Amino acid sequence: MTVTEVTEPPLRPPLPVKMVIAGGFGVGKTTTVGSISEIAPLTTEAAITEVAAGVDDLTHTPHKTTTTVAMDFGTITIDPTLKLYLFGTPGQDRFGFMWDDLVEGAVGALVIVDTRRLDDCYAAVDYFEHKGIPFTVAVNTFDGRMDHQLDEVRWALDVADPVPVIAFDARERGSVRDALLVVLELALARAEG
Amino acid sequence: MADGDAPPGGYTPDPVGRAPAVRPFLVTAGRVAGTRTGPPIPVETQVVATAEGLRELDRLTFERHDIVAVCRRPQSIAEIAAKLRLHLNVVRVLAEDLRSAGQLSVHVPHAGTAQDASVLRRVIDGLRTIPDSRGALRDSD
Repeated sequence: MTVTEVTEPPLRPPLPVKMVIAGGFGVGKTTTVGSISEIAPLTTEAAITEVAAGVDDLTHTPHKTTTTVAMDFGTITIDPTLKLYLFGTPGQDRFGFMWDDLVEGAVGALVIVDTRRLDDCYAAVDYFEHKGIPFTVAVNTFDGRMDHQLDEVRWALDVADPVPVIAFDARERGSVRDALLVVLELALARAEG
Repeated sequence: MADGDAPPGGYTPDPVGRAPAVRPFLVTAGRVAGTRTGPPIPVETQVVATAEGLRELDRLTFERHDIVAVCRRPQSIAEIAAKLRLHLNVVRVLAEDLRSAGQLSVHVPHAGTAQDASVLRRVIDGLRTIPDSRGALRDSD
């Protein structure tokens, strides 16, 4: 961090706009945030270590040995007066109690799905449906592969027609940008409706 | 509510890395966020040091000093917590204290921002200018 020589506070902080990045354990939430955030994703809590052992199924994500237990987030400065915050939800149901705190006031949510473990995103889909928050289901195409077609994912998750179901690559900034835009367009359509 | 807000890290039997030496809510004298004035302030709430806060910075200690110092530039509650490795709700409580003392300015976002079409359009327009990859930004190098 560079030394700041600011002695007088700026007149006004930016208007913060918040979007939630949800999904199951190891599905690519932090990767998604990190691909587009102007800062390395920050977290307010420690990494899962032995606490997660036996709780989370790591067999499908052999390279992932840690994850954040609280939430990680990134920022995108739109201009000096407007800043987008991307907050990842905790990956475990047992931390679900933190979601209300996180989601309150969010413009919408991106629910990331790994088609090998569709069950993991049910909690998130149910949550945002119940809350009436605009959300988009985004299938993370790990290694360019997708085990299910998007219409099969829609059928399996039983999401309503207005909910977009898209494919994206969490590692590609342009792909993440476009996925966020789908959520924002949905939120805009609702705000204008 | 108070129980639900307890930091999960506080119960980790074998903490790794920079675990706090002091139990998080000791610094708030046991107070938790959101019990006095309704729900806790949103995590994206912007906080900035006041001129008074910066003048009095040397007289502040520990977490209060660090929060005012890091808020020379506007920060969200979440950024303060992450940068200072404090629990989110500890920052909320202390920020409210510092605001009451005139040392911080706390800008709680308006509830309707998420449904404000003009704000959403500005975010959309801004996002669209982001290039596909970081490399694209350096094309002129």
